[in-house]
Amino acid sequence: MASLDELRRVIRRIETARPPRPAAEPVERVVDGELLDTGQGSLVVVRREYPLAHRHGGEPLGDVLAAPLPLLARAARVEGSLAGAERLLFLDTETTGLAGGTGTYAFLVGAALVERDRIVVTQFFMRDFDDEPALLTALEPLLAGAGAVVTFNGAAFDLPLLETRFVLARRRWPAALTHLDLLRPARRVWTGCLADCRLATLESAVLGLAREDDVPGALIPLLYFDYLRSRRAAPLRRVFEHNRHDVLSLVALVGWFGRALSDTTGLRPEALAGLGRLWEPVDLERGLTCYRAALAAGLPERVARWARLRLAWWEKRAARWSAACALWEAARRHDVFDPRPWEELAKFHEHRARDLTTARAVVADALGRARRAGAAPRVLDDLAYRLARLERRLATGRFAPAAT
Amino acid sequence: MLGEILDDLLISASTGRCITATRHFPARPPVLAAFPASLDPRIAEALRARGIEQLFSHQARVWELVEAGRHVVVVTPTASGKTLCYNLPALQSLVERPEARVLYLFPTKALAQDQLAELEALAKALPELRMFTYDGDTPQDARRAVRARANLVLTNPDMLHSGILPHHTKWATLFQNLRYVVIDELHAYRGVFGSHLANVLRRLRRICAHYGSTPQFIMASATIANPGELAGRITGEPVDEVTESGAPTGDKTFVCYNPPVVNPELGIRAPYLGEAAKLAIRLLRAEVPTIVFAQSRLSTEVLLTTIKQGVADRATGDAGIVRGYRGGYLPSRRRAVERELRAGAALGVVSTNALELGVDIGHLDAAVLAGYPGTIASLWQQAGRAGRRADPSAAILVATSAPLDQFMVTHPDYLFGTPPEHARINPDNPFILVNHLKCAAFELPIPPDERFGGVDVRRELAALEDEGVLHRAGPRYHWASETYPADHVSLRTVTTDNFVVIDTTFRDAQQTKKRQIIAEVDWGSAFSTIHPKAIYLVESVPYEVQELRFREDEEKVAYVKRVDVDYFTDAVSAKGVWILRRLEGREHGGYLAEQGEVLVAEKVVGFKKIKLGTMENVGAGEVELPQQEKQTTSAWLTVPPATLDRVSTSREELIDGLRAVTYLLHHLAPIFLLCDVRDLGSWLGDTTPAETGAVATRESAKRRLMQAEHFNPTIYLYDAHAGGIGLAERVFEVLPELLRHGRRTLQACACALGCPSCVGPVNEVGRRAKATAARLLAALTD
Repeated sequence: MASLDELRRVIRRIETARPPRPAAEPVERVVDGELLDTGQGSLVVVRREYPLAHRHGGEPLGDVLAAPLPLLARAARVEGSLAGAERLLFLDTETTGLAGGTGTYAFLVGAALVERDRIVVTQFFMRDFDDEPALLTALEPLLAGAGAVVTFNGAAFDLPLLETRFVLARRRWPAALTHLDLLRPARRVWTGCLADCRLATLESAVLGLAREDDVPGALIPLLYFDYLRSRRAAPLRRVFEHNRHDVLSLVALVGWFGRALSDTTGLRPEALAGLGRLWEPVDLERGLTCYRAALAAGLPERVARWARLRLAWWEKRAARWSAACALWEAARRHDVFDPRPWEELAKFHEHRARDLTTARAVVADALGRARRAGAAPRVLDDLAYRLARLERRLATGRFAPAAT
Repeated sequence: MLGEILDDLLISASTGRCITATRHFPARPPVLAAFPASLDPRIAEALRARGIEQLFSHQARVWELVEAGRHVVVVTPTASGKTLCYNLPALQSLVERPEARVLYLFPTKALAQDQLAELEALAKALPELRMFTYDGDTPQDARRAVRARANLVLTNPDMLHSGILPHHTKWATLFQNLRYVVIDELHAYRGVFGSHLANVLRRLRRICAHYGSTPQFIMASATIANPGELAGRITGEPVDEVTESGAPTGDKTFVCYNPPVVNPELGIRAPYLGEAAKLAIRLLRAEVPTIVFAQSRLSTEVLLTTIKQGVADRATGDAGIVRGYRGGYLPSRRRAVERELRAGAALGVVSTNALELGVDIGHLDAAVLAGYPGTIASLWQQAGRAGRRADPSAAILVATSAPLDQFMVTHPDYLFGTPPEHARINPDNPFILVNHLKCAAFELPIPPDERFGGVDVRRELAALEDEGVLHRAGPRYHWASETYPADHVSLRTVTTDNFVVIDTTFRDAQQTKKRQIIAEVDWGSAFSTIHPKAIYLVESVPYEVQELRFREDEEKVAYVKRVDVDYFTDAVSAKGVWILRRLEGREHGGYLAEQGEVLVAEKVVGFKKIKLGTMENVGAGEVELPQQEKQTTSAWLTVPPATLDRVSTSREELIDGLRAVTYLLHHLAPIFLLCDVRDLGSWLGDTTPAETGAVATRESAKRRLMQAEHFNPTIYLYDAHAGGIGLAERVFEVLPELLRHGRRTLQACACALGCPSCVGPVNEVGRRAKATAARLLAALTD
């Protein structure tokens, strides 16, 4: 062990003997910000302003002011009420990891607010871990003054992480923050239509934003650690850019939701179907109206399938059998085999219409298609079982159709 | 009734000759003490409501010491009221100050559940008690509520390590007000597990200091040689021992039973499982509440089957009065068995050492130990499961024909006279310490001059910064990595990758589509217990394994089907140890010592079918299973021909002698390493390279050495933990001293031909082994 120490001394001597590197340019200059002294240490603050007419992708930022916030709060099941748009604090953090717990730091926090006729994005950055008191000091008044916080996945990630940082620093965390986490409504609207519900996916599919030269999120912690060791700030420019984009996307998404909730004209059918799902648990009738409108407007098959099945489920609940059957009939004609409409139809014919012959025809047809489609053994077993029962009942003549 | 059965066992011609020793421990009256004056009257009232009017002296003594601000460990026998020792101060603190917090640590989740039930019963009438378990079984949505509400939290070291400490801000109220940390079953924390716990507690105390609390430790342990020392090492504080039990004990008889010789020519004894079953059946038929301890999960099931059949013979017999209990049963089944035993609905239970710990199963009158449990401490722990405070009880040790057991029952003075084992730990093991130092930095930044549990860690911190996982900013080191360090440190060697056993009996018939999970099997024992064609018993119901899915990308499942067979299966496994990389070597006088990385491989190669009841071998089979390999570190010692020639010219004699030396070194090394015997592995092999090495059973390994062209026997002592935690390096350093110590031990040992305290039992190592080992050690240390 002593030899290791010796080695270290030697290395240190070699290191210090080298000509000193030119001092790295300070980060605040590289990212075009300034140093802010908070009274509890200083940190780097970057401020950017955007006019309300600024388009983020295809979405004018100013639409956020017109968003019907009470409606959005209801659809997104926010606890508490969303005050006016000018009191929304849009928040996104860049962190040293995704693990959570006390050893994960939020080194960059981006916050957007509406200030009169513009959107102002302010970014708070710690140049090293010991800037954290300054970062928290700068965030405190923002959080305290906000009517509500808007995030994307903040319920599970950003807010608990910030709370941990506050508690660790023995500061009070404003526990009763009203919070709109856009991930929840986004999932209801776009799951099934889009490949996933990541913010980047929504940006390109919904907001029409193509990020150029964006830094992948997974690289961000590494870039920060590199900066801590090397003090070379240039690669961080892209991290600041990435964070600003994220925050602006939150503003734009609220604008999009606001429009979609108050007026569905001009929406793509898939989005309309998604809105149906958003409304379904809060306002069923609005939900069903959306589903019907979406189907009428023509949906791609995989979306149409679940929209029909949801709608049929509620029609069945309301005992509107002909409407339900029409939907199942349509759903079973889809190219991709799905056992559910077949089963529902078979159940309807067997138990409700008491037409065993038609029920058998439906099941026999389904079984053939299931086999050709290579369906799971369970599905095949279920259908075969159902078919056998129908055959048996037809043979014994019990529950024969009324006509005979 | 029990007394008559014991008398009959001793007197009757058939069993009397099997009893090699009896020891009688007379009843002891209680030593009582009045409730302490400072005890809250509400608690005193709650005790009276449960029929407790006075304390036992040890309970009062613990109270005094705790009140005086001391850390305490209480070491008294099973059923002496140990839990009240810590429950009283804990409840007092919560009744006095509702904002106070108490943390209980148990080695298993089941024990925490148990203790919660007991606490709730005691605390029914007390105000302000909010007690919850917090462990892997706590549902996610309930966790927040527990964190916010609980003032007494029952958990385990693993959860504290990975779920609580790294999230301490969510537990801020607990850490601000932590009054007591209670650690029960302290003796379970020996070896590497204990070294880990000591470091987890170092982290806990740092966090408490951050929030401004300094908890007091109250611990309870079964009898071991050094409870106070262990408690002190684990907590890093001076600890007072309380060892005088004031609890009364009934009359107790300990009987050593050696199964009769059935084939005098070959010296074969009746199968011990059958004998143990006979004894248990006799006790149970006389309605004596009995616990039977088996050495493995398999023998638990085999015994249970036999005993159930025996008990059911009786006209009114109900096989349901005997239950099984072991790891692998689903928690619901285990809870049901515990409940039935407490309520008396079950009269007897057959268990692995899972019931050795303090799971509450009420009191039983007799314990049948089917086989020596491996350590003196376990022996007394298992025997202690039988015994009431007033009535007489008995424990019967039934010896297997294994050499160790035979030695024990034929040397009762050794058995009864040897003190229980030492529990050794080494919290400063650099591998363990550095891992926890990383976790500590994750939890709270570390000033460079902070001592970690009293240890100067400046060098470790600097090294971690060089590695890039820590970053120094201002006056402190911060965690600077994306990873969650606690995820990379497992306190126990078990992996979480369990196999589920799924019953498919009814699947084809279309009646159940549900996955019927009947048991779980840990990764380490899966290949030997649920290989294809294995008979897997669950509470003596046999299932045959149809398919075992073990590939990395699939769910770990064994599909089984209910069968009706009269045999069970016992896996045959083979092993090998080979050198991967030499890191250091040193020529000594008579041997070459080296240290480096090795590959340890084990493989289940087949199985034997053994008939239930008669234990005859009725068939065998082969299985094709992957070899289980791990890389670890090892020290090894190769003896050159020159040295061997000086000792003996018989290769067989030399192999026996070397095996004896291997056993001796393996069992002595923990004294130098401050670890447990189980933390090390040993093997006598040679220096065949790993690429060409093939695993071998014990017999075939010997054969191979006998036939080898070049006889290069090598003794391996390796780290049982994959990757190694520094034990092998230490073995390499102390090897000369270890050999000298071995030589002295051998000289001092009074046995004639080998015993468990030196080279191993004579029947295992052979009659010439001890003498050969002595000559070998002389040659190696001169």
